[in-house]
Amino acid sequence: MAEYVFLQAANGLVTGLIFALAAAGLTIIFSVLKIVNFGHGVLYMMGGYAGYYAIHLLGVPPMAAVLAAMAATFLLGVLFERLMLTPLYTNKVDRKDEYAIIVTFGLFMLLENLGIVVFGPFNKRPPSFVEGGLHVGLLTITYDRLVAAAFAALLLAALALFMQRSSLGQALDAVSQSRDAAAIIGINPHRMYAIAFGLGSALAGGAGALIAPIFSLSPTMGDLPSVQAFVIVVLGGMGSVPGSIVGGILLGVVEGLGVGLYPDPNRALAYSNAFGALLLILTLLIRPTGLFGRPHLRME
Amino acid sequence: MLIEVERLSKHFGGIRAVDDVSLAISPGELVGLIGPNGSGKTTLINLMSGALQPDEGEIRMGGTSMAKKAAHTFAHHGVGRTFQVPRLFRRMTVLENLMAPALTLKHSTSHAAQKRALDVLAFLRLRHLARGEARALSGGQQKLLELGRALMLEPRLLLLDEPFAGVHPRLLDELCEHVVALNREGYTIVVVDHNLDAVKGIVRRLVVMARGRGIADGPPDEVLRHAEVISAYTGA
Amino acid sequence: MVRGTLRAAGWAVVFLAALLAPKALNTYWLHVTAIAWYYALMAASWALLAGYAGQFSFAHMAFAAIGGYTSGLLAVDLHLPPVLGMLCGVLAAAIVGGVIGWLCLRLRGPYLSLFTLAFAQILQLILIAEYQFTRGSLGLSVPPLFHGDSDLPYYYAGFALLLFSLGIMQLVLRSRVGIFLRATREDEDAAEASGIDTSLYKIAVFTLTSAMAGLAGGFYGHFVGILTPNIVTIPEMGLVVAMAVVGGVESLPGAVVGAVFIWVLSEVLRDYGQMRFVILGLVIMLTQRFAQNGLVLLATRLIAKRLQPQRVEESGAPAA
Repeated sequence: MAEYVFLQAANGLVTGLIFALAAAGLTIIFSVLKIVNFGHGVLYMMGGYAGYYAIHLLGVPPMAAVLAAMAATFLLGVLFERLMLTPLYTNKVDRKDEYAIIVTFGLFMLLENLGIVVFGPFNKRPPSFVEGGLHVGLLTITYDRLVAAAFAALLLAALALFMQRSSLGQALDAVSQSRDAAAIIGINPHRMYAIAFGLGSALAGGAGALIAPIFSLSPTMGDLPSVQAFVIVVLGGMGSVPGSIVGGILLGVVEGLGVGLYPDPNRALAYSNAFGALLLILTLLIRPTGLFGRPHLRME
Repeated sequence: MLIEVERLSKHFGGIRAVDDVSLAISPGELVGLIGPNGSGKTTLINLMSGALQPDEGEIRMGGTSMAKKAAHTFAHHGVGRTFQVPRLFRRMTVLENLMAPALTLKHSTSHAAQKRALDVLAFLRLRHLARGEARALSGGQQKLLELGRALMLEPRLLLLDEPFAGVHPRLLDELCEHVVALNREGYTIVVVDHNLDAVKGIVRRLVVMARGRGIADGPPDEVLRHAEVISAYTGA
Repeated sequence: MVRGTLRAAGWAVVFLAALLAPKALNTYWLHVTAIAWYYALMAASWALLAGYAGQFSFAHMAFAAIGGYTSGLLAVDLHLPPVLGMLCGVLAAAIVGGVIGWLCLRLRGPYLSLFTLAFAQILQLILIAEYQFTRGSLGLSVPPLFHGDSDLPYYYAGFALLLFSLGIMQLVLRSRVGIFLRATREDEDAAEASGIDTSLYKIAVFTLTSAMAGLAGGFYGHFVGILTPNIVTIPEMGLVVAMAVVGGVESLPGAVVGAVFIWVLSEVLRDYGQMRFVILGLVIMLTQRFAQNGLVLLATRLIAKRLQPQRVEESGAPAA
């Protein structure tokens, strides 16, 4: 029993890291564009398939395919941002929150169903990063999980470095703090919006490509992670990248332990996805600014 | 006393936006509330209108404790307010912006609300714009309309948050005139501004805030000689 | 004047057409149209909640499920007559809706959307996991509202329920509550400062629109005869959002027209399978991008222009 719980927690840690990657993307989009991307889950899904086809059609090695997937979803994100989100930056749209909810939700509908049409409704599984697994007593953790977790951790570290050290990362940060102030010091906010949305999409896509060998691909695979990513982002405090990493790991472990500890195993599995949603609801109710977010200034 | 603020505090995280402030205002006063940016003026206004709940302290109106009441209860107890940047019901007509508060009165009829709204619009010289959407108004007109909305519930206390900021100079005099005229009609008014010059000409009492605390309170010329006020403004 | 008369005449024609339509429809299309009433009620009540009151909830389908399952389970397990069951369903949906509205009081914009999305997901998982009660994914067989094979009674019952609910919602919107809801949507703090008890009206609008969703769900269950957890899925919610957006989220009749249009369109495109949802996603995005007031308003404007080409623009009339 103890081993089973441990395994669930370890698996949770792995998925948590991957979700944290997707969530970091959501966070970047939120902090720079000030919108919640309801289409994040489908970008994650598209990343998974992009990786799959890069391997099968172009013969790219599995790990490089993750990077290819990120490049593809980056372009997709920029395209969407240029076509659909530009009205947000003008006064043409009066209710920006609502506009963003609707168009990103439309993106979700469009791509998920396009996925079913183009990729087919059946699961696809790309080849493993590394075959085999690590044995812990009677239980096994596959190398795929370990590789994916390490890859995700690496990407998150690279992201943190990029945000802190590179001039582009600092420009993004400046726009997220104040669009007007950034414009004054010569940063073109419109360019930053496109980059932020592309980067956020790429992180979702990378997460999708990393998870593909573990859980296999389906066009609806993004439904849950989009909720999970929201959980993580809200948990970590909207707009905080380190927060989303901690939030992701926390969520993964809570889900893993929830499934491991729930008395009725059948229902535990059925409810495994409810733990995340419940966590989201509780966080929103108790601490809408997240565990690490600043207290919300309601009126200033 | 019309309103009594007693030892009011409000913290945001580690920041004490309002720190142990006490203030009493009598009916008919025209008070200027000034202080540098970030001194807690707007937070105090938000507390006095119920938009924020204080962490500590008490607000009393005519002996009734208001500290835990919702903003709409403040409004019905006679507190009317405007915002730093006008916050209108942008996609409603100018007339509807004014009718909304009037309709919250229990026995109001739509007819009476409309009549009063048109009267207020006439007073503000905005009547010709009644049927247009509020978002189509100019910045100054938006300020006027917001003032009108605050008047609809016939407040005993008007809290005006930077009414003169960002207003075209031509409208500025008009706005000042309105404030003085309203005070003469018997409205008790608090005008918030970080710009001394705009305020000191019209008020008879100045309250100065710095770093969340009230540092001076009295007639303008007296207050402005106060050493702490000078240092707060020069940043020394 | 001309415009008002024209509009009244337009609606009279629509109403008569809806009354007489069953004469022209075959069994299949009668069934399709009767289901369209369900979606129309969902879209219109969501338009009230999201468009007028500004509460962008993704839990609307969840309330339809609560209404449907309450009524269905009462009928199956306690043999309650469907009409009574539907009333209980409406009540249950209203109560849960009120509670959700109350919980969401402090949440604004996308936060509220996230909250309601998570709530809907949990409800869906409960419906799947508690299969001893709900029959899980296999679906709950629900007894019919009317006996006999014809869908005609459902057509008229659905249409009557829709008109009844629209009537109530329009009454609310025409009253002062309508102004308060819009003011709350435009700016909550300013509404509070204007003496509007925004909490009260937000809870009220959640309660009312959830009751309507519960009514729609009850009708749907007893009509179609089977309820599955799929009723709460994101694509179903997306369908309703698409209907309201195309119809114009700030117009209840628009949402109804949008619902019927999209539902019929998706039936016409049924042979294209999933592709029709791709088109729906595209329609949502493009409508929002280029015609934020919905296609219905756009279409009526174009028609009105055709009908009175030399009409001089009213002076001072708002452009939007």
